[in-house]
Amino acid sequence: MNFTGLSLDQAPPISVPFRYFFVAPLFAMMAAMLLLFGESFHLERFSKEVIAATHLITIGFFGFVMLGALTQMLPVIANATIKRVELIAGTSHIAMILGLLSMVYGLLQNQTLFLNGAYIFLGFGFFVMLIAIINSIRSVENFTPTIRGMLSSVSFAFVIVGVGVLLLAEYAFGDLGIYHVAFANIHSTLAIFGFAGMLIIGVSFQVLPMFYVAPSFGTFVESKLVYILGVALVVWSVTNLFALEFVVFAKVFLILCFIYYAYILFKTIKTRKRKIQDITIRYFYTAIAFLVGGLFLWFLQSFIEKISIVVVAVFVGGFILCVMQGMLYKIIPFLVWFHLNAKGYMSIPTMNEMLNKKFVQLQYGLFVGSIVFFILAVYIEVLLPVSLLLFIGSMGLLEYNMLSAYKIYRLTCKKKPEFDMSGFTS
Amino acid sequence: MYSIKEYLTNDHRRCDDVFAKMEEQANSSLAEAKEVTEKFVADMERHFQREERVMFPEFETKTGMLNGPTEMMRQEHAQMRNLMAKLLEAIDTNDTDKFFGLSETLMILLQQHNMKEEQMLYTMAQQHLSAEASRIVEMMDSLVIE
Repeated sequence: MNFTGLSLDQAPPISVPFRYFFVAPLFAMMAAMLLLFGESFHLERFSKEVIAATHLITIGFFGFVMLGALTQMLPVIANATIKRVELIAGTSHIAMILGLLSMVYGLLQNQTLFLNGAYIFLGFGFFVMLIAIINSIRSVENFTPTIRGMLSSVSFAFVIVGVGVLLLAEYAFGDLGIYHVAFANIHSTLAIFGFAGMLIIGVSFQVLPMFYVAPSFGTFVESKLVYILGVALVVWSVTNLFALEFVVFAKVFLILCFIYYAYILFKTIKTRKRKIQDITIRYFYTAIAFLVGGLFLWFLQSFIEKISIVVVAVFVGGFILCVMQGMLYKIIPFLVWFHLNAKGYMSIPTMNEMLNKKFVQLQYGLFVGSIVFFILAVYIEVLLPVSLLLFIGSMGLLEYNMLSAYKIYRLTCKKKPEFDMSGFTS
Repeated sequence: MYSIKEYLTNDHRRCDDVFAKMEEQANSSLAEAKEVTEKFVADMERHFQREERVMFPEFETKTGMLNGPTEMMRQEHAQMRNLMAKLLEAIDTNDTDKFFGLSETLMILLQQHNMKEEQMLYTMAQQHLSAEASRIVEMMDSLVIE
C-alpha cells in the first residue's frame, strides 16, 4: 500500500492545479464580454453567441477548475496519483485552450476549419486527462464514497465530451441531425448534474468534515446517493430520447434527489463544529439556495420554455460556480502554504495572510449580484449589461485574488527565508 | 475493549472537538482562549505520543516497514507541532489574524493527516496487530506523556 497525498515528494507540483485555476476566470470574463459586445444582444439558448459564451464558462471555468482540483485531490483524498502528471496536464491543458478558442471563433465566424479543430482539440484534451484520471483511480484499494462520486463524475464526463464532439461536428458539417436538440439537452443536463454535480457531491462527503469539522452525511447518503442519481440520470437521458411522455417522471425524481442532497448539505454545514464564519461558508449557503431555486425553475421549465437560460444561469452560475469559488478560496492559500512549507522555509505567511478579506468579500458580492441581475435580465433586458459588467468585475477580482496568493509563493521562493528544519525532524 | 482503529479514531474526534472550542473561544477573546489552546496542544501531544511511542513501534516491528507510512506520519506530526507552538506564540502576542491563519492551516493539515491514518494506517495496523490489540490499546491508554 502506498502512502501518497500531501507528502513532500508525491503531491503534484503547484503548477499543475494552478495552470487550470488561473485561466478559469479569464475564460469567464471572455464569455461575458462576448455577450456584452456581441452582435445579437438577446439571450436565445441556441444562438451561436450564447452557445459559445456558455462553453467558455462550462469548459473554460468549471471544466478547468474541476480538472485542476482533481489533479490535487486524487492523491490527497483517493490516494491515487496520476502518472507523469505534468506532461499529461500540460498537454491536455494546451489542447483544451486551443480547442475552446477554436470553438468560439468557429461558431461566431462560421469557420468550418476552426470548428473541426475545436472538436479534435477539445476531444483530445479532455480524453487524455479523463483517461489518466480513470487510470489512477484503478489503483485505489479503499473505495470510499468520495471516490465513487469522482468516478461517476468522470464517467459522465466521457459521455458529455463524446456527445459534445458529435454536436460540434454537426455544426462543422453544417448538418444538424433530428436528434440535435435532444442530444444538446442530454449534453447540458449531464454536464450539470453528472459531471459537476457528482463531483461536488462526492467531494463534499470528504471536504466538509475536513474543512469545517462537520458530521458525516450518513451511511445512506454516502453509500447510495451517487448510485441512485447515476441511474436517474441515465433513465432521464433515455426517456428524453425515446419516451418523451415519461421524461417528466424521471425529472421529478432527479429534482427530489437533489433537493434531498441540498437539505443534507445544509444540515451538515449548519451542525458543523467549527463555527467560524468565512467566505467559503457563505459561498456554500448561496450555492444551496441557488440549487434549490434552480431545481424549482427546472421543473417549471417544462411549462415555460423562456426560462431555460435562467435555469442554466442558476445551476451553473448560482450553484456550481459558487461551490467552486468557495473551494478555490480554501484550496489556493493552502496549496501555497503547503508547497512553501515543503521547501522548509521559515516565516511563511499564514493562509489568512494570502488573501485580502475585503477583496474576497467584494468579489462574492459582485458575483452574486451578477447572477441575480442576469436572472432579472430575462424580463428586464436593460439589466443584462449591468449583470455582465458585475460578472466581469467579479471574475477579474477572483483572478487578482488568486494571483495575489501565488505572488506570495513566488516572492517567498525568491527571498528564500532561512530554512526551518524543525518541521522535518521528530 | 476498543480496537486500535476505534481507539485512535475516537482520539481524533476528541481533539477535533477541543479544536472547535478553541476557535470559538478565540473568536470572542484571544487571551481567554489560552487555556483551551493549551488543552488542545496537550491532547494532540498525547495522541502523537500514543502513536509514536506505542503503536508505530509495534507496527514497525511486526511489518518490518521502518521507512514507510509511520515515518511519513512522524514527519507530519512534527509539522503540526511546529504550527501548534506558533499558535501559542500568537496568543502571547495577541495576534488574532496570525492565530486564525495558523488554526486554518493546522486544521487542513490535521484533517488530511487523520484521513490517511483512519483510512489506511489504522486499517493496516488492525490487520497486522489484531492479536495484540487489547495489549496495545491498554499501553496507549496508560502511557505517561513525556
